Amino acid sequence: MIEVKNVTKTYGKKDNLFCALDDVSFKIPDGASVAILGKSGSGKSTLMHAMSGLDKPEKGEVIIDGKNILALSQKDIDRFRSQTMSFIFQSFFVQANETCYDNVSLPLEIADLAPSTRKVKIEKALKAVEMSDKKKSRARELSGGQKQRLAVARAIVNSPKILFADEPTGNLDSVTGGVVEDLLFNYNKENGVTLIVVTHDAELAGRCDIQIHIKDGKIDSIKRNKK
Amino acid sequence: MKIRDITIRAGRSLKQAKARTLLTSLAIGVGAFTIVLSLAIGAGGRAYAGDIISSNTNVREIMVQSKQDTEGSAPGITTKPQKYSDDPAINYGGGVSVKLLKQSDIDKVKKVAGVESVLPYYMVTPKYVVQDGKDKYKASAETFNSSIKLEYVAGSADNIDNNGVVVPDGFREVFGYASAEDFLGETIQVAVESGSGNPLKPQVKLFSFKVVGVIKQSALAVVNGSNGLQINKADMKAMYDFEKKGTILYGTYMAATVLVDENANVETVKADIKEAGYMARTAEDLMGFIFQFINVLQGILIGFGVLAVLTSVFGIINTQYISVLERTQQIGLMKALGMRRRDVGRLFKLEAAWIGFLGGTIGSGFALVLGHFANPLISEWLAIGETRLIIFEPISIVSVIVGLVFVSVVSGILPARKAAKLNPIEALRTE
Repeated sequence: MIEVKNVTKTYGKKDNLFCALDDVSFKIPDGASVAILGKSGSGKSTLMHAMSGLDKPEKGEVIIDGKNILALSQKDIDRFRSQTMSFIFQSFFVQANETCYDNVSLPLEIADLAPSTRKVKIEKALKAVEMSDKKKSRARELSGGQKQRLAVARAIVNSPKILFADEPTGNLDSVTGGVVEDLLFNYNKENGVTLIVVTHDAELAGRCDIQIHIKDGKIDSIKRNKK
Repeated sequence: MKIRDITIRAGRSLKQAKARTLLTSLAIGVGAFTIVLSLAIGAGGRAYAGDIISSNTNVREIMVQSKQDTEGSAPGITTKPQKYSDDPAINYGGGVSVKLLKQSDIDKVKKVAGVESVLPYYMVTPKYVVQDGKDKYKASAETFNSSIKLEYVAGSADNIDNNGVVVPDGFREVFGYASAEDFLGETIQVAVESGSGNPLKPQVKLFSFKVVGVIKQSALAVVNGSNGLQINKADMKAMYDFEKKGTILYGTYMAATVLVDENANVETVKADIKEAGYMARTAEDLMGFIFQFINVLQGILIGFGVLAVLTSVFGIINTQYISVLERTQQIGLMKALGMRRRDVGRLFKLEAAWIGFLGGTIGSGFALVLGHFANPLISEWLAIGETRLIIFEPISIVSVIVGLVFVSVVSGILPARKAAKLNPIEALRTE
């Protein structure tokens, strides 16, 4: 369960004060898939950053499993992120010069896992995105779709509880984008992982259980898809 | 994140920027090269000087002289008129004189604790050396000292007490023997002139000796190098008596060599002899200036190396700053994935460490290769035989590399701090 309570985030000072998030509150049940929708600059990315503890809003709480992550120390919040969350970005952010194996290995290294444990997990994750054969290839040799699949493998390798995806298909054509989408939603369903997608793609949002529309830093509407 | 994993990642990111890494390392490599080579030259120089000292002197020996009017590097040289004393002295003119030791002085020194034996320095100036019918040759004579290392071509000094002489190989050549073995057992005569005789009718006596040992004319043997004959103490005394009897110098000695007991401390004995009113100098004192010279030279060379290292420090800082800028996204991603600030900092410090390690290894490697090829050439050029003037000590190479790694880590601190402080949101926004 993720509970966002009265989160307010502002940028700038005095006259230039800009309110990116204005008293935002909502709840997400465990295992849900959530789309955060809104135009550019509406504050949807800021919301994602606040929910993942990357950003510290001035006011409010983000309670995950009963813990207010905004009140944690930097060290604890880093550990929390490393153990319970992962990210997928629009521009992949895979390390072009590293092999797929090493790319996927990074979150596990950060989580202090032993090389032997890492090997098993990495191979499993690469298999899940159907890229076992690319293990030794360098990321720069991959196509855009493959890169994003690699990013998905990196995101799921440490079995996170929450998966953040920031415009995961924004840089992909519809076919490859569809593949990545399927990967994400299947993973969400099969493993009960909370999936939070930041997007302005209505079609992608339509596949999610919950759609949160953000407008000018405020919640415009929350829709729950009936199944 | 584990240090091991960070180290591997650091190494990998350097591999991805090969040219830059290599160039930055080369800068530090120049410093490593200079320092390693200076240390090796210093070590070689000291070893060489040590060889010279041990082949010409014995570290357990103390040279004792009468206390001179002025003490210093050049005994006997004074600027003021000196009081006359009846004590024996050799006057060289111009107010320069060297006071001599008397038998009573020798006896007094003998009584100092820790003194095993006192060997007076018998000043004998042979007129010439000859082998019947052949040409006469100039020579000097020294009391044989078993504690000085000699390199024998043939024979040994075992039989020297039985009227034997140890001669340099050069005499074998001039007296026309094909091999040193042939020269062994042959008789040579040393001519000594009596000092008390009428100068117009010189009284010359020939002392016969049997060649028992032929020694190499080693470059290391500065003292006995080319024409020094080594004769046992009794025979030296006999020649000395003949030469000096009836002169004012009879019973006096320029110096005496004290051999310190195995169990006694050389420095303590030296202090005691000084206490008794004599000038005492150990082999180290006599040869110390060589070490000092080598150390100064080495210091200057190392100074240049340190300067090169200092320059390369800025290179490392610059490279690492650029690296942080280039890899903003990567840093952002790592931090988003929960990598701690401390670990991000470590990643960049370890990269710097790798650069230092690489530079140190490259520099030392080049120094080793150069030393390997230059050593024989230098030895040949200086005609010092098998002696090597560049000696690489593993410990000094290792400490240079470790030191450079440390310096690199220190210079990597600033860029690493910048990386650690990077805001992941800003970093991931960069597109």
